[in-house]
Amino acid sequence: MKFGAPKGASSKTSTKDAPATLTRHSSGFDQFCSMLKTQENLSILDMSGASQSNISFVTSFGHRISSDDIIGTMQEVLGDDFFQNQQAASTAQRFLEQTLTFPDESFDGALVWDALQFLVSPLLEQTVEQLLRVMRPGGLMLVFFNADEKAKQLPLYNYRIQDAKTLLQVPRGGTQRSQYFNNRMLERLFEKASSLKFFLTRDNLREVIVRR
Amino acid sequence: MWSKRKEDELPPQRPEKPASAPVTPAPAVEPHRREVTSTMSSPSRTFEPEPGIRSGSAALGKNVTVKGQIFAREDLTIDGEVEGTVECHEHRLTIGPNARVQAGLKAREIIIHGSIQGNVDATDKIDIKKEAKLVGDIKTSRIVIEDGAYFKGSIDISKPSPAKAPQAPATPAQPPAASQPSGASTPTPAGTASR
Repeated sequence: MKFGAPKGASSKTSTKDAPATLTRHSSGFDQFCSMLKTQENLSILDMSGASQSNISFVTSFGHRISSDDIIGTMQEVLGDDFFQNQQAASTAQRFLEQTLTFPDESFDGALVWDALQFLVSPLLEQTVEQLLRVMRPGGLMLVFFNADEKAKQLPLYNYRIQDAKTLLQVPRGGTQRSQYFNNRMLERLFEKASSLKFFLTRDNLREVIVRR
Repeated sequence: MWSKRKEDELPPQRPEKPASAPVTPAPAVEPHRREVTSTMSSPSRTFEPEPGIRSGSAALGKNVTVKGQIFAREDLTIDGEVEGTVECHEHRLTIGPNARVQAGLKAREIIIHGSIQGNVDATDKIDIKKEAKLVGDIKTSRIVIEDGAYFKGSIDISKPSPAKAPQAPATPAQPPAASQPSGASTPTPAGTASR
């Protein structure tokens, strides 16, 4: 099953009507933190860009953190028209060359946040493949997808860690959603992973823990 | 009456001015001389530090390009282009807002306003300002990163090892037994004679 953008969709990023900063409890992140607390010398990838709070939190456990702003790379490479430009092979290739450029099996954990929901086929599957490549066997990824089927506009957020159960969603604009992801679609998207665990929250965010 | 002859009234001889350096030889290396072993494309002339940079520290201005290795024994500010390595052990290294650095950096403390491509190693602290752009791996004891700064790479926090706590005695001192009961066997410490 291919993941494609709805016909006529455009994806202009805009700061108009951007929501305020939100504080939310995250069961998925709580589960991810169990790994941080119980294991030593982990290597964690944060794909929300570098931030003091995330760096301090992860390194306080003695772990190593790597930062890569995947949304920023999307905006830089794919421009304002996310969906249209993703279809072009050369642009998609440039995006892949600039993101997840790590050696195989580099990370024990990855905080992917909600970046994947803005990608469409084939770039979406290629990015997931790269994610699984850089993860060590048994490693955990935390991925978010908006669960509101009716929403046509999705906000873009930077995710900041407040504590082991609480996240801060700092708005950085918005864009038209590419597609709605249900559980079945996510199972197919991550079919090469060893397991998936879903957490459905009250604020229409589907949190997924993917085990490599 | 004898009068002094004029030739006897010679002015007191002044010691001759030394033709060269004073008697005590100059030290081989002046203590505060900057050792900058690099190729500088700009003509060598007295550098006027920009206002705000305290005296006693070295600076490379925004129109200076250096390709090579830089070793500094004092605080250093770089606001130009550098390609190579920069080592500033036990001192502060400041990367100015106009700087474009493609180099590995090592210092006690590193403050970044400009653009760096390379690994950064600070024994004490790294401070990444909001206009900074850093692509490379970081190794430090402390890091401060402002919102808006761009960073891509890994961060290794190596905290200094804490001072060892005084070790508690392994076993409490046993009072010596007054007498050994007959038939009882007690283990004798090594090196002591049993009776």
